[in-house]
Amino acid sequence: MRPTDRKYLKSHEWCKIENGIATIGISDHAVSHLSDLVFLDLPAKGSSVTAGESFGEIESVKAVSSLYSPVSGEVVDSNTQLPDNLEWLAQEPFGKAWMMKVRVTSQSPDLIDAAAYDAHCKAEG
Amino acid sequence: MRLRVMLDGAADASWNMAVDEALLTAGDRATLRFYGWSPHAVSLGWFQRWTDFADVPADVAVVRRLTGGGAIHHGDEVTFSLTCDAAVLPGDIAASYRLLHDAAVAAMRRLGVPCSRLDAGAHQQARPDQRWCFAVPGRDDVVTARGKLLGSAQRRTRAPRPRILHHGSIVLRRPALTPFTAALADAIDDDPATVERLRAALTTGIADALDLIPAPGTLSPAEHALATHLQATRYRDPAFVRRR
Repeated sequence: MRPTDRKYLKSHEWCKIENGIATIGISDHAVSHLSDLVFLDLPAKGSSVTAGESFGEIESVKAVSSLYSPVSGEVVDSNTQLPDNLEWLAQEPFGKAWMMKVRVTSQSPDLIDAAAYDAHCKAEG
Repeated sequence: MRLRVMLDGAADASWNMAVDEALLTAGDRATLRFYGWSPHAVSLGWFQRWTDFADVPADVAVVRRLTGGGAIHHGDEVTFSLTCDAAVLPGDIAASYRLLHDAAVAAMRRLGVPCSRLDAGAHQQARPDQRWCFAVPGRDDVVTARGKLLGSAQRRTRAPRPRILHHGSIVLRRPALTPFTAALADAIDDDPATVERLRAALTTGIADALDLIPAPGTLSPAEHALATHLQATRYRDPAFVRRR
């Protein structure tokens, strides 16, 4: 079972909300399907993101994949070290490989808990 | 389920990329589209820096692809795009390349091209020191004894629905800016009849690999309208090429 202290999107982003601030990243399942990571683009501090819409992009094996935000709000921090340390995503996808922190104004209605997300990953293969 | 097959002619680079994005975002079915490049052009991978290509002659058009990987000088080649719902291809990206590359290898071998898929080494990366897609073959790439023959790249989206755009470029004759590629012309006649036979063989091979039934088709009015909009607002805009 993946961490139960956060919610997940079926597009494989996770979101942990504490005191109105959401920490957001992507799951181990996403990282294993992406394999060799090459580039990562994250939003700058101070920009806005919208729940369900793309907030960044990641390239691996010549494939660009969009990253989708679980919440709407203002980006209050961005993990600027991560694009130069992409191996963190494989090492600690739920820890130091967080991508951004957002002051939440609303959440995606599509967020699911860890058990439902585990079942989704199992079904997706 | 059907695989719409579009046999397009050679077109401007901005139109080629606009149509592929329209098929990815407005399309709701699987489409295999063949096309060519007139005039010849260079396409940059999504994350590449255009300043790394300052040596491209001014009379060569440069366009940015939605897909990743390294740059390609599109001259005489057999180019195709596959757009489909994500469930049609493996979720594992490397596995999806292997599936499509094996179909392409089988198609080209049927025409007498001695090619194979590399099953060792590292995956190629689009770093500044490896800026051309065809420069150094990597794991799962399709090669001949002369070098890399097929360039591939993808874009994967989840909204509004999970979709994949896969680009494939098979070199017919070596382009001026990338003389290190392999080419079909090394092994077989490079006349129009050969190109048609290869398109047909690729269609059969890819349709079989995806368990789809090929059927000829064209752009829908909505897809055409979106492609026209994307060409004008995105792919013809120099700022879009220079966004990185």
